[in-house]
Amino acid sequence: MSIRLKVQDLEKVYGEGERAVHAVRGVSFATEPGEFVAIVGPSGSGKTTMLAMIGGLLTPTRGSIEVNGQDIARLKGKELAEYRRRKVGFVFQANNLLPYLTARENLLVMARINGTDLKSAGARADQLLEELGLTARRNALATELSGGERQRVAIARALMNDPELVLVDEPTASLDSARGRQVVESLIAEVKGRDKLGLLVTHDMAMAELADRVLEMHDGLLVGQTVGARG
Amino acid sequence: MIGFLEIRRRKLQFALVGLIVTLISYLVLMINGLGVGLNEKAGRALLNFNADAIAYSDRAGLSVIRSELSAETVARITAESGAREAAPLGYMAVNYRREDGKVKSAAVLGYDPGTIGEPPVESGRPLTPADANGLLADREFLKASGLKVGDTVRLAVRLEEREFTIVGELNEGSFFFQPAVYILRSTWQEMKYGSANPSAPAASIVLLKGDGLAGKRGQGWEAVSKRTAFANIEGVAGQQSTVQALQVFGYLIGGLVIGVFFYVLTLQKTPQIGVLKAVGATTGFIFRQLLIQALLVALGGLVIAVPLAWLTNRALQQAPDAVPIAFTTQTFVVTSALLLVMAIVGVLFSGRQVAKVDPIIALGQQQ
Repeated sequence: MSIRLKVQDLEKVYGEGERAVHAVRGVSFATEPGEFVAIVGPSGSGKTTMLAMIGGLLTPTRGSIEVNGQDIARLKGKELAEYRRRKVGFVFQANNLLPYLTARENLLVMARINGTDLKSAGARADQLLEELGLTARRNALATELSGGERQRVAIARALMNDPELVLVDEPTASLDSARGRQVVESLIAEVKGRDKLGLLVTHDMAMAELADRVLEMHDGLLVGQTVGARG
Repeated sequence: MIGFLEIRRRKLQFALVGLIVTLISYLVLMINGLGVGLNEKAGRALLNFNADAIAYSDRAGLSVIRSELSAETVARITAESGAREAAPLGYMAVNYRREDGKVKSAAVLGYDPGTIGEPPVESGRPLTPADANGLLADREFLKASGLKVGDTVRLAVRLEEREFTIVGELNEGSFFFQPAVYILRSTWQEMKYGSANPSAPAASIVLLKGDGLAGKRGQGWEAVSKRTAFANIEGVAGQQSTVQALQVFGYLIGGLVIGVFFYVLTLQKTPQIGVLKAVGATTGFIFRQLLIQALLVALGGLVIAVPLAWLTNRALQQAPDAVPIAFTTQTFVVTSALLLVMAIVGVLFSGRQVAKVDPIIALGQQQ
């Protein structure tokens, strides 16, 4: 089943009174099944905060985030951890691989966390590493990989537990434009090939235009939507 | 899996923590060994007496040194205490000169052959009533003096000096922090009070065997259990409280240091814990990894510390004036178990830190 995401009147306020900072202000949007959406905007526009709320890392101050009809803004503690574990795959800006593990082990950690059988997880990890051109580097420690390789391992890790929602935060920040484009294209191919929903936060318009749709944020508000290269 | 792999890949970091655990375990083991050793030195011979209770003069305040019993009192104790068996025992401290010329002290215990006061002989032979100048020497005496069965030794008390032949070896332990030797009670009486003294005390204490003897008293005497007698040895109470304080501080400080190390290790991993939480790991899952690490490191430390302490003890025992350290299986088991508990307690504190880590830190982390 393709995932449906519906964000409604989403708000995030840090602090109170005069010191209150409105990071996200009443954002609403919905996605189509199998869509890859880019969220762009300058620094401080609220795009990463919104991604964190959709990924269950931050609790919204107001509004709802419906994932297949379930409002995840109401989840807490273990339920939220389970949502992140089963439904969400994260690709972080700094890839955040565990440095003392190999590329393959970084993927197997996800199976451990999810309580998946390690034998079948091993086969899946090998398959993902092959798809991302990392078979030869599967036993290299994370610290021995190049920036591009680390990001591709991070993509494989995000897909390891077969999540419905893949959330990506500035994946090309530490890469040159050619490598960055290669990484985003691999990511889009993996996400769309598996009929998942992808949300990409970036400030790089060239990368954003590779998506189906581009949402533009400014000062916590959704200020525009354009169709991307794939839309 | 993660916890174990991290130890394998970060050998130096974990080896250093393991070294700290090893040194602390070693220190705590040595303190505990010292406690056991000092207790043995204080009076293992007393605890080894073939008796259930010990009768003293009621004017001695449970001091073997000050207790003196007349022949009549000994007879009364034997008759009135209800003991199945009784044996008078005399004590005095003597000096002897070692081969290197140093004057050392020894505890002399005078007994009657064939009674419960007779110690079991390890090698050589026991004393007979004809062995007025025969002596049974404890292993510690032989080690300290450099003598062996068959040798002679001159024991001095006050201005008197008398030569004895060592006829047997014992393993009964020290008495009042001194190596012990056993002679006939009649010889003891002669040496301590002189031969021409018909009113001389007949014994220092009386060993009693039977049930319900501790706490009994009669005219001129009182009986207590061996444990009470041991605790009343001069200096033992102070020594035991000192050793216990050392043990408690050893466990507390050792546990605290081990705990703090694991806590710091956890603090250093905060970014990785944030990532694990962001990808759905529960606090319990992460905590289990830390616990596995702590137990592996603590076990590793103990695996090195226990044989190291045992070897140190063996090396120290080679010296003639051996450091009073002794280990029992219980010392190793209890100390190891308590140190493992301390490591777990340390991780429990780290567990609170794990619970506090917000997964949001995974966003915006730079490696």
